[in-house]
Amino acid sequence: MESNTVVNLELLDLSLAYGLVLLAVALARLSGIGQEGQMLWASVRMVFQLLAVGYLLHLVFAVQSPLPVIAILFVMGAFSLQVMGGRIRRKMPHFYQVVGTSLFIGCGGVTFLFCTLVVHFSPWYDPRYLIPLAGMIVGNSMNGASLAAERLGAEMRERRDEIETALCLGASGRQASETAVKNAFRAALVPTVNTMAAMGIVSLPGMMTGQILSGTEPVLAVRYQIAIMCAITGAVAITAYLILLQGYRHYFSKAHQFVGE
Amino acid sequence: MAFVQENDQVTVRLEKIAVRRSREGVEVDILREISFSARSGEITAVIGPSGGGKSTLIRLINRLAEPGSGTVYLGEREIAGLDPLQLRRTVALVPQKPFMFEGSVLDNLQRPFVYRQEPTPGVDSEEVRRALALARLDQGMLQRDARSLSLGEQQRVSLARALVTGPRVLLLDEPTSALDRRTADSLAATFQEICRSQNLTVILVTHDLRLAGRVADYCLYLEAGRVLEEGRAEELLTRPRSAQLRRFLAEPSEEEV
Repeated sequence: MESNTVVNLELLDLSLAYGLVLLAVALARLSGIGQEGQMLWASVRMVFQLLAVGYLLHLVFAVQSPLPVIAILFVMGAFSLQVMGGRIRRKMPHFYQVVGTSLFIGCGGVTFLFCTLVVHFSPWYDPRYLIPLAGMIVGNSMNGASLAAERLGAEMRERRDEIETALCLGASGRQASETAVKNAFRAALVPTVNTMAAMGIVSLPGMMTGQILSGTEPVLAVRYQIAIMCAITGAVAITAYLILLQGYRHYFSKAHQFVGE
Repeated sequence: MAFVQENDQVTVRLEKIAVRRSREGVEVDILREISFSARSGEITAVIGPSGGGKSTLIRLINRLAEPGSGTVYLGEREIAGLDPLQLRRTVALVPQKPFMFEGSVLDNLQRPFVYRQEPTPGVDSEEVRRALALARLDQGMLQRDARSLSLGEQQRVSLARALVTGPRVLLLDEPTSALDRRTADSLAATFQEICRSQNLTVILVTHDLRLAGRVADYCLYLEAGRVLEEGRAEELLTRPRSAQLRRFLAEPSEEEV
């Protein structure tokens, strides 16, 4: 077998793998935790969603045109926004507008710079590069963004007395919410910083292992991983920063009154 | 720029103030066409049961909140036309629960200047000395950690912090409700001294009849968003005309229950 080709997975191989899910379901049933239905449904969803994406990507790769690639990126962004909206129970005011524009500028900007300056593949829309890179950037920024949005809301609720005291003493809305915004920004960055610090020791990142599996030289795979990690960090920081920059304003009226949620 | 000069007589006048708010989907009247004036050199107390709209009322005067309709005047000027940040320099509010910012008492007294991007007054500055003296705080207090102080001391720091920029109107929102009787009484005396010596217009919101009785010159009785009675404090508190006020005065205060 040549080193740069992957072992093909036949239907039979997949069925055997799926047997492991059935094993998990059986274990769940035995211990009576009542999750079998959900587990089966989730596994079926996984199979069909991935197959659908696989064929979709297959098509997009074949077409070789920028439009479907861009459409896919937008669907990805919209989907992540919707997932976040579902996950955060107490949303900040104008949640979708604030988070949507921030994700668009933060992730879009970083992806664009990353693809043109760092990886510079051609054509610029080559789906083989653009889709997975943008996907990783959006996926990670989504976590940072939801942390920023969620924490800002919590800080604003908890610090109501502090904020109103500051306003009484002549603070503007921006000054009064400074601590809240700082704490939210810190919270948004923590997971990414932790991931960077643990990388290679605690975790072998998915992209790198994937590349190695498909035959890429480990050192090259590592280089990709370093580059994408840097891009993710930048995208998370920019997205979270933009969310907070726009977000805190919606908690105050023009007359520097704390209006809350 | 201040809106009023140092020794001006500043009258606060509310005209037909109404506030509605939706509570669980139902529109509720918080304040219904409230009108009254508060004069400088006097403490005007707004008394009444909790939930009667007192706190909402006081927050309208430094524009922490906006009325649904009606006008608040500071002297002859409508406050809706003034820059809220400047307004809050002239109209200070001491909230019910004193919030201390991290750091020393001096840090707390410097906050209003930091927010306004003005040079911060030091330990020996005229502003700090004056504010400390007015709030009856010791100079030695300045370096102490503000959050380690007792509640009574914190309320005095909160008062000094409100006075440090030289306001002409002082709004007090249940300022003694969290304090024990003795501390509350001594703080009440301080309010009275400040009002007289600085010729301030003081508006005090409270459900504490003892406090109102000790310090108020003029008194309004607010219930369910309406002023049911108003008059000179000693008159109103000793000879109530309405049945509602009579009932309120007869209720044992929370402290005595």
